[in-house]
Amino acid sequence: MFEFPLRLSKVCLTLPSTAGPVNILREVDLEIRPGERVAVTGPSGSGKSSLISVAAGLERPTSGQVELFGADLGSMDEDGRARLRRGRVSLVFQAFHLLPNMTAEENVAAPLEIARTPNAQVIAQSWLGKVGLGGRRTHYPHQLSGGEQQRVALARALAGRPSLLFADEPTGNLDSANASLVADLMFDMVADVGAALVLVTHDLNLAERADRIVLMRDGAIVS
Amino acid sequence: MTWLSLRFARRELRSGLKGFWIFLACLALGVAAIAAAGSTAEAFRRGLASQAGEILGGDIALTVEQMRFSASERRSFAGLGQTSWAVSTRAMAQSLEGRRRLVELRGVSERYPLAGTVELRGASSLESALSQGPDGTFGAVIEQDLLNRLSLKLGDRFQVGSLPLIARAVLIQEPDRLSRGFALGPRVLVRDAAVEQGGFLTSGLPFSETTRILLPPGASLEAAKARLQKLLPLGQARVRDRNDAAPGIHRLIDQLEYFLGFIGLAALVAGGLGVYGAVSAYLDSKTASIAVLKALGADSDLIRNTYLLQIGALAGLGIVLGLALGAIAPLILGAAIGNSLPIPALFAIYPGPLIKAGAFGVLGAAAFSLGPLGTARATTPAALFRQTTQSGFHLSAETLLSGLAALGLAALAIAMAPTPIAAVVMMVGVIVAFGLLWGIGRLGAFVAGRLRAKTKGPLRLALANLAGPGSAARTAAPAIGLGVALLAAVVLIQSSLLRQVAEIAPQTAPALVFTDIPGDTAADFDQVVAVAFGRTLTPDIYLRAPFATGRILRVRGSQVDTNSIPRQQRWAYDQDISVSALGAEPANSGIVAGQWWPSNYAGPPLIAVEVEAAKGANIKVGDTLTVSLLGREIEAKVAVLRHVDFGGFNASFPLVVSANTLAGASLRQVAIAKASRGQEAAVTEALGRDFAGVNVISVREQLEAATDLFNRLALAIRGAAAVAALAGLLVLVGAIAARAQARTREAAILKALGASRGQILAAYVMEYGAVGIIAGAAGVGLGYAAAWPVVVLVFKAHWAVDWGGVFTLVLGAAVIAGFGGLAASMQALSKRPAAALRAD
Repeated sequence: MFEFPLRLSKVCLTLPSTAGPVNILREVDLEIRPGERVAVTGPSGSGKSSLISVAAGLERPTSGQVELFGADLGSMDEDGRARLRRGRVSLVFQAFHLLPNMTAEENVAAPLEIARTPNAQVIAQSWLGKVGLGGRRTHYPHQLSGGEQQRVALARALAGRPSLLFADEPTGNLDSANASLVADLMFDMVADVGAALVLVTHDLNLAERADRIVLMRDGAIVS
Repeated sequence: MTWLSLRFARRELRSGLKGFWIFLACLALGVAAIAAAGSTAEAFRRGLASQAGEILGGDIALTVEQMRFSASERRSFAGLGQTSWAVSTRAMAQSLEGRRRLVELRGVSERYPLAGTVELRGASSLESALSQGPDGTFGAVIEQDLLNRLSLKLGDRFQVGSLPLIARAVLIQEPDRLSRGFALGPRVLVRDAAVEQGGFLTSGLPFSETTRILLPPGASLEAAKARLQKLLPLGQARVRDRNDAAPGIHRLIDQLEYFLGFIGLAALVAGGLGVYGAVSAYLDSKTASIAVLKALGADSDLIRNTYLLQIGALAGLGIVLGLALGAIAPLILGAAIGNSLPIPALFAIYPGPLIKAGAFGVLGAAAFSLGPLGTARATTPAALFRQTTQSGFHLSAETLLSGLAALGLAALAIAMAPTPIAAVVMMVGVIVAFGLLWGIGRLGAFVAGRLRAKTKGPLRLALANLAGPGSAARTAAPAIGLGVALLAAVVLIQSSLLRQVAEIAPQTAPALVFTDIPGDTAADFDQVVAVAFGRTLTPDIYLRAPFATGRILRVRGSQVDTNSIPRQQRWAYDQDISVSALGAEPANSGIVAGQWWPSNYAGPPLIAVEVEAAKGANIKVGDTLTVSLLGREIEAKVAVLRHVDFGGFNASFPLVVSANTLAGASLRQVAIAKASRGQEAAVTEALGRDFAGVNVISVREQLEAATDLFNRLALAIRGAAAVAALAGLLVLVGAIAARAQARTREAAILKALGASRGQILAAYVMEYGAVGIIAGAAGVGLGYAAAWPVVVLVFKAHWAVDWGGVFTLVLGAAVIAGFGGLAASMQALSKRPAAALRAD
């Protein structure tokens, strides 16, 4: 019997606003198997990014249960959730979110250092080589193109060999050539490390590369 | 703290100090002001200590009033070490043309000075200047002011009282001047034999004799003092030593240090808003980075430590900058004006004041930057997906530490103050003022929000910005207001006191004081004055009373322990004070307890005591006092406690004994008079003919000198207070800088919507001008509230508002803030809208 990297049961997320509470997620149930690649699609505002935010433990659901590797996130505080993510869960964002004052190598090394992984710099250099940026390791994010930044983000996400990768529109800010390159790298590397993947995307071509597609609408999974 | 925090902090700091200049400037300014105040005071203290021997004129100085030391006492003093002698009195100097002026006459022995040198101009040595001429006339060294007043030049003859003298040299400086206190007239230095020859040392005349003893190297000061205490009768001589050479100056330095240090602290508090704003803006800009780090698995401790290290490093840099400035500024001051300072100073870098200023800096930085750090630590990683800015008050370990640091700041300020109660009042005042200004800033923003719907165009934009989340009314107005409040308080206190000295005192105080009027010819004296004044003397313009000096020795039979008497009242017990002997109750006697004795009272001695002096030893009506008076001890029963207006036109004696107490003694008399300048000149000249021995003290001259000194001090004090206002300005600059990007974007959108440059410029100038007016008006109001009790209750002076100064402050705050708005708009307008919007 294997352990589900991620299980969501009747997860709801309601946020306050000036116009009154807004229901972002409505009773979402979702299970991700080890190594499974799941694409989450749906129109803007359907709750895809919020699903990642809640599933990765970045914020608490209003109700329902989120289990990461069998651990109930509801019983943990924010620091506990952060510690749980270390080395096991990674994220890639549409806006790259590289740390602006760190070089490419330092960005990749950062989660390894946080997880106290030995030889973080060496591993970071190796992963930069894998994404084709071995020659740009001392460059700062503002010195890299969008595609290069996303490749650094990908290396950062996978260098710790996580068991679960969340990718939120990873190609959304890239031109088609770079988008294709990043998508190829992501699928190849996820397969290489054996991680499960939760990919939020509008791009149906990209979604079709996943093992399963989940469609969201108005905060609920509809298929 | 982990190495990882250090590593991350170092990486973050690599991007430079962008956004932290205001943080550094605010912190450095406050620390520099405190360090400079402390270093300057320390330089004066060390200077005084290094020259304590010169200032006192030896290791020990003993002074007796209205008498001379006996031959056996002189021999005993000589047995302790080298001795020099000086006799001092006040007398009228007169030129051969009849010009007259009160002088401080001092006769010194040949061994004077035992320590230091007398600076002269016009003679090669003190000895040659003071030597007797061929006809036996003594030489004199006199101050330039006397040469000018009597139209003398060196070599001219003049006389003091009936003593003929030759002006041989100009007196520039005496080494022991600081220890001799306030002078009522120019100084004249002669040999002691000359003073004796002039008849100034007759028993009963107001002279003093001082001997200065220079102990042999290695001799114990305490042992020598103990021997002297045994040798001299109780209370007969005032004994000072080199450790207490100029106690008044030490107190002045303590007060000056605290005043300047307080201004530095106020600058630190005002600048604290800049620190808070800069840290908040910096951490706001790091929201995404913090969220990413948390998403990557960083816990909140790692986040806090990473940014605490950065802020700590920058605070350290700001404090070091401030300490460097504060240490160097007094050195520059010393190099520039060190030679012209009236107090000796050893300008150097002293660790003590710098450590103190550093402690203030650390506490100030902690108090104002830990709060935003707590907010940043609470940033959730979900901020990467939506705007979840933490705002408002969050109770956290950081906010608690911030509060503790603020308390520590206040406690340190109070602990360092020479008078803790005054420090508590000042600290509470600053905290209340700051709270009120903060509230007024928020109220201003609220009112702007309400008014904007009724306006249009640039005014509406200005009001919208004032009401908006980054409103300078909330951030910069309290800081500018605090600076303006300090300046306003200083301006209002100074203007009131200046008016008191320059306008009110001349109306209420006597214009002239006559001393040493012979008791047996007092009626003739009155006649001469009446003739010179050209009118009959009435009690409203002329009062005369017997005068002596005496010392309170015992209260209720117990010896007075001056150390147990509060400092404010100690003056009445640790020195000779003026005493009169009156029969009938004087006008405006100010009785607060007891009853005045009948004019023909003939019973045991009674005494009236000034009520404040009485409080010092808890003296009540019916108590007995033992007073040393005219060389004997008199035991008198307290009949009256009375309030005395020492600056007013009344019998201003702290002690008055019943007339019968001194019956038979021919007391010299003092008189006070109100007179015009013409009457003053006439009576001064007339007395030269018939009462040459009577000293004429021009209160008008003293008040004019005080006004002049006050005006010179006013500029320096206002300059110091302006440091706090500068901190306010830095906060304004910080507020403008923090909103620069948003302003650029806003200006670009407005331009895209068709707004002209002039409209945008007008809106920003109006917005910041309004901030200046809010801050200026609130600051002046608080300055008024702070100054009024100081003037009316502490100085007991008349309240007078310098409306010109007040208006200038409000206008100045508005104009400077308006210029800030202009600078903000110019910067925002300098970018092309397309570029600004594309960058967005």
